[in-house]
Amino acid sequence: MSAPSTTNPGTRARLFPTINWRAARAMLLSEGRLLLRNPGVVLWTAVLPVAAAIILGSIPAVREPSKDLGGLSFFQVYQPILVFFALTLLAMQALPDVLTRYREMGVLKRLRTTPVSPGLLLCAQLALILAVAIVCMALMVVIPPLGGAPWPRNVGGFVITYLLGAWALLGLGMVIASLFHNAKVAAGFGSFLFFVMQFFAGLWWQRPNMPGWLRDISDFTPSGAAVQGLTDSSVGHWPRALYLIVLAVWGVATSRLAIRFFSWE
Amino acid sequence: MSVIEVTGLRKVYGERTVVDGVSFSVEAGEIFGILGPNGAGKTTTVECIGGLRQRDGGRVTVAGMDPANEGSAFREVLGIQLQESRLPDKMSVIEALDLYASFYPKPHDPGELLERLGLAEQRKTYFAKLSGGQKQRLSVALALIGNPRVAILDELTTGLDPAARRDVWDLLEDLRGTGVTLLLVSHFMEEAERLCDRVIVIDHGRIIAADTPEGLAASVQADQRMSFLPSAPFDLAVLRALPDVHSVVLTGERAVVTGTDNVASAVIIALHGRGISVGKLRVDQPSLDDAFVALTTGNEPPLTPGESSAEPSGEPSAEPSGEPSGEAVAR
Repeated sequence: MSAPSTTNPGTRARLFPTINWRAARAMLLSEGRLLLRNPGVVLWTAVLPVAAAIILGSIPAVREPSKDLGGLSFFQVYQPILVFFALTLLAMQALPDVLTRYREMGVLKRLRTTPVSPGLLLCAQLALILAVAIVCMALMVVIPPLGGAPWPRNVGGFVITYLLGAWALLGLGMVIASLFHNAKVAAGFGSFLFFVMQFFAGLWWQRPNMPGWLRDISDFTPSGAAVQGLTDSSVGHWPRALYLIVLAVWGVATSRLAIRFFSWE
Repeated sequence: MSVIEVTGLRKVYGERTVVDGVSFSVEAGEIFGILGPNGAGKTTTVECIGGLRQRDGGRVTVAGMDPANEGSAFREVLGIQLQESRLPDKMSVIEALDLYASFYPKPHDPGELLERLGLAEQRKTYFAKLSGGQKQRLSVALALIGNPRVAILDELTTGLDPAARRDVWDLLEDLRGTGVTLLLVSHFMEEAERLCDRVIVIDHGRIIAADTPEGLAASVQADQRMSFLPSAPFDLAVLRALPDVHSVVLTGERAVVTGTDNVASAVIIALHGRGISVGKLRVDQPSLDDAFVALTTGNEPPLTPGESSAEPSGEPSAEPSGEPSGEAVAR
């Protein structure tokens, strides 16, 4: 065995990583199974907002347009907030929690000793969390109309905004997992950021009622932009380009930061 | 042919040189031990060999490949069992092996490997429910699942109780002759004495000795030491007069005598002549432990003295080995 012929394939493999689909499938199955065995975080994340959306949608008075909310109904204002509540909780809490714990346990380092990159595990986690978030979103969108609440009128705008928002928030979750190596600290910071996100999304102070300057700030946060984009779509408009751009910029920036700073150990 | 070739390996953390010019080579099929006190640079050395750390100087090849250039071909050749690496609590033994088997082109059969490692009954047991020894055996299994030519095992038995430790040793003995080259990191001499074909001792980032375990033990040829319970009191001067005896002391009822290789028979014959019998006899050979202590505390001048200040702590501290040495007990 000559030296050049053995080093070359290695170098090439690193420059153009070929995905081992058998390993990817096994990893996804394995992580999915672990998620089902530890359903606590996910249940807590999903149950509250989904139940709230369904209950809200079933109360006729909540579906009436309100002058206080700029002509929107209470349901129209809160459905996007609740959709984003679930996504934020998953991205700010569940994702950094599992990744920092895997790093603490040495799972990521152990994967480095195999031909498979630990990046595969990150991708599997991202895919699973996104899948859970999308299921929550679908429940919150599909079930309330059964009780008479309105459908989002612009489904395309709704989906595009949701996916861009998911990118921005999951990216933020990855940044948390990159910056904090202690699972408890990461969880604490995630909770803090969760409340900040919810504030700008308008959970306590609805966006239509915010003073102009605060709404301007909110427009540039991932949660504010996403919730307004979803609200616009659900009443039938296309979301303003500004919101989609804000979300895409957050997505790019957080992804780059996470890739730059994420360490395996 | 050497499977692992290390020449002048250096690793620096800031101002501290943690590995300072380490060179050695390991032949195919060998069980090779890297010994040294905590913080000596053992883990850093093997992590450089395993491509988990970038070295700052020197050359390393494993099966002809440079770990700094690591690709999947390198990872397929080398299995690594890391110190303090856990699995998710609710992952079962067979699930872990199946998952890791999926990463390799020609893995071992997971079921067969479990059988061999004595984990067949724990197939479906969650990681969190395994005993310490079972976790370590699973860890070895994961290092071997890809059918590697070389496996690095770091502090395999640290923190295990003696029975679990022996289980793991038996397993490694079984691996001898299967063609796998094992690089064993340990601060535990009994382990090296029992398993390794050759060892190096690292202290302060440098190799201070390289030999077979027996050769190393013999190199610090200390006195042989015997102790016994005499059937009746006797005059210690009788023994002191013997040419083979160097020292005699009484500790409580027991007499402790040191001297040359022949000290035991000389003492027994001398006392027998006076009608005194020797009870509960115990003879200690100089062990690798003695050699290790002599080497690392500088009683025996090592090849390089090594700087005495600033203990490098490049590896997570593990419990110091406070185990008794004397294995050779004559009854």
